[in-house]
Amino acid sequence: MQEYIVEMEHINKTFPGVKALDDVSFNLKSGEVHALLGENGAGKSTLMKVLSGVYTADSGEIKIFGDTVTELTPKKAQQLGVAIIHQELNLCPHLSVAENIFLGREITKMGILSSKEMSKEAKCILDKLNIDISPDEIVGNLPVSKQQLVEIAKALSTNSRILIMDEPTSALSEKEIDDLFKIIRKLKGEGCGIIYISHRLEELQHIVDRVTIMRDGRYITTMNYAETTLQEIISNMVGREIKQKFPRVNVKRGGKIFEVKNLNAGRLVRNINFELYEGEILGIAGLMGAGRTETTRAIFGAEPKESGEIILDGKSVTINKPIDAINAGIVLVPEDRKRDGLCTKLSVRENIALPNLDFLSKSCGIVDENEEKAIANKMVKDLKIKLPDIDVVTDSLSGGNQQKVVVSKWLARNSRVVIFDEPTRGIDVAAKVEIYNLMNDLKKQGIGVIFVSSEMPEILGMSDRILVMCNGRITGELDIEHATQNMIMEYATKFEK
Amino acid sequence: MKKRDDKNILRKIMAIRGMGQVITVAFGLVVLCIVFGILNPVFFSNRNIANLLRQIAPILIIGIGQSYVLITGNIDLSIGSVVGMSCMVSATMMTKGVNPWVAVLITYICCLAIGIINGQLVANCKLPPFIATLGTMTIARGIAQIVNNNYNTDSIGAAAKGFRDFFYYGKNFGVFNTIWIAAVLWIIFNFILNKTRTGRYIYAIGSNIEAARLSGVNIAHITTTAYVVSSFCSCTVGLITCAISGMGTMDAGNGYEMYAVAASVIGGVSTLGGQGILLGTVIGASIWGVLQNGLQFAGAPVAIRNIAIGVIVVVSVLLDVIIRKGRPIRKKKNITTVNKAEIKA
Repeated sequence: MQEYIVEMEHINKTFPGVKALDDVSFNLKSGEVHALLGENGAGKSTLMKVLSGVYTADSGEIKIFGDTVTELTPKKAQQLGVAIIHQELNLCPHLSVAENIFLGREITKMGILSSKEMSKEAKCILDKLNIDISPDEIVGNLPVSKQQLVEIAKALSTNSRILIMDEPTSALSEKEIDDLFKIIRKLKGEGCGIIYISHRLEELQHIVDRVTIMRDGRYITTMNYAETTLQEIISNMVGREIKQKFPRVNVKRGGKIFEVKNLNAGRLVRNINFELYEGEILGIAGLMGAGRTETTRAIFGAEPKESGEIILDGKSVTINKPIDAINAGIVLVPEDRKRDGLCTKLSVRENIALPNLDFLSKSCGIVDENEEKAIANKMVKDLKIKLPDIDVVTDSLSGGNQQKVVVSKWLARNSRVVIFDEPTRGIDVAAKVEIYNLMNDLKKQGIGVIFVSSEMPEILGMSDRILVMCNGRITGELDIEHATQNMIMEYATKFEK
Repeated sequence: MKKRDDKNILRKIMAIRGMGQVITVAFGLVVLCIVFGILNPVFFSNRNIANLLRQIAPILIIGIGQSYVLITGNIDLSIGSVVGMSCMVSATMMTKGVNPWVAVLITYICCLAIGIINGQLVANCKLPPFIATLGTMTIARGIAQIVNNNYNTDSIGAAAKGFRDFFYYGKNFGVFNTIWIAAVLWIIFNFILNKTRTGRYIYAIGSNIEAARLSGVNIAHITTTAYVVSSFCSCTVGLITCAISGMGTMDAGNGYEMYAVAASVIGGVSTLGGQGILLGTVIGASIWGVLQNGLQFAGAPVAIRNIAIGVIVVVSVLLDVIIRKGRPIRKKKNITTVNKAEIKA
């Protein structure tokens, strides 16, 4: 019988307004790889942040190596042997491998760094792991896969026995994944426990002993990997019932208005092809990092394209900059309203007017304030934005109202295609419904709507057709009559070679 | 009935963004004036006030330019050198017998070129504005030195009397021309900043450059416009400097970029971009002028005046940052809303 090195019992964690972890239990044995699975935002990261001391649980018990731990801080967790290897690596690219491994606890002699000794020590650690990297190499010159190994070496050099790996293979090639797995098996043999978070379900078979599945902040089940199937895992991940009603409207599908052909732009936009018809909402589903946002940004001209053609109303349009797309009649309601959507120091009126000053100003460039006020007032009324008056600074609004301002600045002009990227993220239910109604209105007006969302219920509830993306490619297209959560999940985890 | 109208107008004025800060600073200005007035009765004499205004005018002009650049979220360090370059280029030509007004035109063209280079380096080549304008600052100073072979020029002569009157010595309606120039430039640039698309875009890119870009704003074009305005203002001040002394001096405008930052920042223009009004710059420039003038009367040496201005600038920026420090608390809230979103998703 293997001993438990981590036991988390009945963990609860509430963020303002949301129960992030609801009575979650999780354990890890020494010498095992335990996969933690779930959709985006199922609570995996929150749970791991509790284990590594970043968040403090509201209630529940954590035992590490059999001892109950209270008041866990990141530093304490590290001392107890918990190490996280993040998706984004936390290395200093300009320093050498040895310098990175010993960062913050350098070996010194009378206050002077003894590089030789650190180099030797680092070499020892790397050799033990069979990692073929010179300790004097500059980290920035190494490929990502090797950098990841350096991160692992760094974690082990502090005698970490509990490794949390968050999507370690997302940026690696087949061969590099194999190498990583070899090292994971070796660590396993030495009695380390590894918590493995990944969306690539196929690769689990090579290393995983047990899986725990979470959904909506709750613990669902733990299974021995050998006794389960991929199908069973997927249905446990997505198996929620859709209780919410969505205000779907049915409109007869019209002619083709928009088409994207062979679009390529970076690693996460590979050979994208799709069409959009009048009177439909086209949903784009996928997991985090699938390339959905990147695709919409490439279409809109916010990121440079490598190749590809964009056809609007039968005519090919050239889009190099956002202004080209706006002029052509394609607009993008961006995902991150704080970063991409709002000038938070400016007023609601000025934000709504910003992309529309072309028709809101007189020929001499003077802004027509009456027109501007009229359009801002109209949008505020139409979208039921709650605010004292249109001259308040957007910074002072609630998230839902801010989101509505971002949406309204794009609806104030006549467009042919409106792309919504996660339009309901972080807003309350009432505001969500208003955004849904808005999309329906556009659909009724014959405007093409592209709707990117990570929330499966709303994608299924609102779209007429669904594209599923994974790793920069479209891996599936589903008709709404036949689409199910399981099917979306299957396509969303279909990593093609 | 009439009273209510007054109230409405007052409310309208107070509703202008940044007005609160400007009024606070204006109050400080009044206090400062009273203190200097008590210390020295001559302070409020007609002569001194006219002098004071003539001292303030050039600082206000470069302050307008710096405010434009600061509101876009950048900074222009080349202001002082462009003043010197403008002074030397125009004076050199005039001493060589070029018609003063032709010389003025050519000087403007040269100085605007610096503004265009600044804008292109910052917006298109993505250089940090500090470094880019530090470079052009040195270049412009070099040009100021080289145009007359590393010497200050001789007197620009009698032919330039019209030029000197226009920029400094002449009066219209009993007010010195320098003050008129500052007032007219202020009205024009205030109008552009508040009433035109260009002005709106200047605020937008200072507030959130990515949101502005995604809204179809041509970032490079607007950034360059702001830098060109700044160079235009500096050039004008260079011509005023030349008119004052009647010759070109190579180190004219030395340190003016700092004075321009002082005028803007004291007046409430944020060094982080997106915030500030030109009315504030007027107050900021006035505080600068009153301090210089008042301390001079009080017998304080130049060094003390410099220290005073420096301290006030640092304190103003510090206050600006501290006021905004209240924000991270709000930002934290936003982080949790993001988390909420992730969890919901």
